[in-house]
Amino acid sequence: MSELQERLEKLLRRLDLMGMRTEQALVDAIRAAREGDIDAGLEVNQRDSVIDREEVEIEQECIRLLALYQPAAIDLRTICTIIKVNSDLERIADLAASIGRRTKHVVEDSVDFSRYNSFDSLVDATTDTLGRTIRMLRASDTTAAQGVINSDDLIDEAYKRFVRSVLDTEGKKAGGVEAAMTLINIAKAMERIGDLCTNIAEDIIFLRTGDIIRHADAFDEHTS
Amino acid sequence: MTLGQIPVIDATETRQLHEFHSVLPKHTESVEPRPTNPVIIFEDFCLYYGSKVGVRNITMNIYPRAVTAIIGPSGCGKSTFLRSINRMNDLIPHVKVTGRLLVNGQNIYDKRINLINLRQQVGMVFQTPNPFPKSIYDNVAFGPRLQGIRKRSRLDEIVERCLRDAALWDEVKDELNKSALALSGGQQQRLCIARALATGPKILLMDEPCSALDPVATGRIEELIHKLKSDYTIVIVTHNMQQAARVSDWTAFFCMGELIEYGLTRDIFTNPKKKQTEDYITGRFG
Repeated sequence: MSELQERLEKLLRRLDLMGMRTEQALVDAIRAAREGDIDAGLEVNQRDSVIDREEVEIEQECIRLLALYQPAAIDLRTICTIIKVNSDLERIADLAASIGRRTKHVVEDSVDFSRYNSFDSLVDATTDTLGRTIRMLRASDTTAAQGVINSDDLIDEAYKRFVRSVLDTEGKKAGGVEAAMTLINIAKAMERIGDLCTNIAEDIIFLRTGDIIRHADAFDEHTS
Repeated sequence: MTLGQIPVIDATETRQLHEFHSVLPKHTESVEPRPTNPVIIFEDFCLYYGSKVGVRNITMNIYPRAVTAIIGPSGCGKSTFLRSINRMNDLIPHVKVTGRLLVNGQNIYDKRINLINLRQQVGMVFQTPNPFPKSIYDNVAFGPRLQGIRKRSRLDEIVERCLRDAALWDEVKDELNKSALALSGGQQQRLCIARALATGPKILLMDEPCSALDPVATGRIEELIHKLKSDYTIVIVTHNMQQAARVSDWTAFFCMGELIEYGLTRDIFTNPKKKQTEDYITGRFG
């Protein structure tokens, strides 16, 4: 194995570790919000700086590899994919941290998650998709990547259902606006996580096939 | 200026911005090279040195006004392939050829072909700059004089045009009588390109033209290749993967005398179809 390939392997292992940390951050943030555990929520927020540092270091190593080795073909696609996935994982961790920070509002606004069955569906769809994204990333599995892309619709649907029920319930209550805002912001973070998982899946398809499947409709319009 | 200060764009700048956008390629405009009528056609072409295979079963088209890079490990047949286009391999004993190789529609291995005419049509630049031990002027005028051009004003015109095309004129115009051997390596190589252009070829073959040059001189030659391709069909052999990626529109990967993969350079270097190609350009080969 060449030195470049060894360094790429190392980067992929670091990215996998970052993915696992990100997944753990989301699970912990949701648990903190549900249980109203402000300290646990803040702890998720504090841990985010570890992922931030890791993101910068991974990007720096990618830039070094591009400058030193001028990689081509699979090596080039691997570095491009790492740069993009690295950024998306960091964004997911930011969104998990934002859920953690909102735990304070959950407590202050007396938010009651048990009123919303649709919240469970949204949490399940998001955590399941993120978990599959991290495993798909580890295995560079294009079939699993397509599955991740398909599940974004489930997350979007669950998000819309949840927002509707929040507005129906909290909107009728005096002073329910703050609680509604907190709930919708938490849900929005999960919906965005679904979008970022889709990005990662599209990047894995690019890594394996060289095809950029993003915005395919826009290109069809121009060729038709 | 800090990020807080938003600059106001005046009318002139707005016009410049519109002009800038008007020259950008539209979405529907293609900026990629397209396969047009090929100028060189290999049809099941094989070349043997006695019983040893040089290249075999080559079928491919080379397109006009584009740069085609030939890459592959040492001994894979790159130079044999290149030198077959102007029949330089004929100088090697026991060479045998099968199949056809058409240049501008003519099979150049046909017995009736005039080799001098062929080599005027197909110029060649070698690995090491090899100017004649003559003046700069005489190096460029050498080919035209062999073609029978004697008139000084006509020769002056050719020398200036070729030195300009080879991006050397501004550096040597005041010392055309100086010995070519006094030039730097990079200048010597550009002089050899000017000399190759002087016989009016349409095709230029380059066999590792930068391998003996430093990065600055290499950069000049690469810029020159980019400029020349608007008028010439260029086929270049290079061991430098980055150079092939930078200068060429098409890339052909050879291995053990066979053409393994041929396609647009941007595809070969980002997403080659064959594992052998990928292994070679990523350094996993062997």
